[in-house]
Amino acid sequence: MITLLRFAGLGLALVVALLFAVFVGDQGPWYFAWVVGTVMIILVAAAGGVLFDAQAEEAVSKGEF
Amino acid sequence: MDLINPTVVDLSRFQFALTALYHFMFVPLTLGLTFMLAAMETVYVVTGKQVYKDMTLFWGKLFGINFALGVATGLTMEFEFGTNWSMYSRFFGDMFGTPLAIEGLMAFFMESTFIGLMFFGWDRLSKPGHLAVTYLVALGSNLSALWILVANASMNMPNGAHFDPETLRMTFDSFVGVVFNPDAQAKFVHTSVAGYVAASLFVMGISAFYLLRKQHRDFAARSFRMAALFGIFSTVAVITLGDVLGRLDYEHQPTKIAAMEGLWHTSKPPYEPWIIAALPNDAKQESSFEIGVPFVLTPLITHSFSMPITGMIELEDAAAPRIASGITAVSALRRYEENHQAADLEEFRAHQDDMGYGLLASRHAPGQDVTAIAPEQLQSVIEQTKPDILPNVFVTFWSFRLMVFLGVFFFVLFAMASYLSLKNQLERNPLFLKLCMWSIPLPVLATEFGWITAEAGRQPWTVFDRLPTFMSASTHSVSYMLFSLAGFTVLYSIFIAVELYLMFKFARLGPEAHGPHEDADPAHLSVVAH
Repeated sequence: MITLLRFAGLGLALVVALLFAVFVGDQGPWYFAWVVGTVMIILVAAAGGVLFDAQAEEAVSKGEF
Repeated sequence: MDLINPTVVDLSRFQFALTALYHFMFVPLTLGLTFMLAAMETVYVVTGKQVYKDMTLFWGKLFGINFALGVATGLTMEFEFGTNWSMYSRFFGDMFGTPLAIEGLMAFFMESTFIGLMFFGWDRLSKPGHLAVTYLVALGSNLSALWILVANASMNMPNGAHFDPETLRMTFDSFVGVVFNPDAQAKFVHTSVAGYVAASLFVMGISAFYLLRKQHRDFAARSFRMAALFGIFSTVAVITLGDVLGRLDYEHQPTKIAAMEGLWHTSKPPYEPWIIAALPNDAKQESSFEIGVPFVLTPLITHSFSMPITGMIELEDAAAPRIASGITAVSALRRYEENHQAADLEEFRAHQDDMGYGLLASRHAPGQDVTAIAPEQLQSVIEQTKPDILPNVFVTFWSFRLMVFLGVFFFVLFAMASYLSLKNQLERNPLFLKLCMWSIPLPVLATEFGWITAEAGRQPWTVFDRLPTFMSASTHSVSYMLFSLAGFTVLYSIFIAVELYLMFKFARLGPEAHGPHEDADPAHLSVVAH
């Protein structure tokens, strides 16, 4: 039951996201670009932090300190 | 009708510009730092590494200082519309008030509520719960900016409204038209993302300071890395949206784009150069010194190689029939106000699109009343009004240039910062780190220049093509304006001093460890000093 509810909830979120994308993408393309672009910028910055950790671990494993 | 004392209008403009410029010293950092905090906390929630929580807490503390002072400087501006711009508020209040009310009730309340949870909810909320709160603070602060810029865009490109001759006010027609105004969209994204650039350089600059002093190196190198990547993508977005705004101005505000480019005469595509530097002379209507890059202006503004850009002198000439038509509109409106004759209303409706130009002409009409213009005086009034349609070219031209030069500088700076950080070569380049540190205030300056370009370029209108600025102010005395101006200058200067003192103090103190974290291990420093 919980799985079904979770599935239904995610399905609803997907429908809302699609409606948002269609409406805002049509009426306000730059608002839509802001939403997508901001998420992308955050993810790139976060990936930069994770990459830093990976580089640090690689340096440790190679004994470069 | 007596016009408002021009000195009072100038002082009202100066006071609004001063309070807005002060306020905007705080806004960009708030807009950008919230999303950067969200990025740092996202990594904390995903990886569980304490250093990212320390980063969120430390940069969050600096954000808190900035937020408090930003709110204090912003509150007065909302009242200023009513106190100093009552004629404007009466004419345009229906349009302008709606987004401002939504900003206060929705975005600002949302931001303020969740900010408390963000600062005090670390031990009371789950990790994902706190992360959601941080995202909501970021969304709230940017939604505040959205509604302000929707209001501002309706002054630059009045969409979703019409002038009602019965009430003599602009009447709200379409909420969707106001919110999805193309100028609002582009301006919001341009301004919001300019805030990301300011926050990126703020974090990068202070991190560079720590790296130069060999303090908190692991913390600083991580912060620098995230800020550099955040900044390079944000700068590209700012430049892209700047181009969109330029294109919109070309289509809807030709006087602004011509002033921004110092274009006195209509361009000759495709050769027309983009002027890098010039000394525009508003009185002589010429530029005495010009250095330009040929073949750049036409594609830059029109996105084609063949479309001309109308020059300011040609725009002045083209305004003459609109001024004549506007005088007819205002005269018909005055008669309709007195007699309510259908014929007068019909005549007004035939010329209503030019009403603003008739109001603009009132400054040169006998007794400042366009109905008193005799037929033999009409041409003289039109000739005197024509130069009034242009903004101050020197200010618009140079504020735009300085913003653009700084934007290009940020692109180069963030590109180098990203490269050096990804290659772990930051500490080998102390000069570059110093440059990052000293560049901290530049994005704020760039946003100030951008605001001056947008607002000075809109002149002589408060509502573009509808309401002249000289008819928009309140009928205060000069002494009242001078007193309030001096008060704001002193008070806001104190706010700036407090902000700088607290920022320097807490930045020098550095991040506090909020619990044990593995980066006490010197191994992690190797990637910084590699």
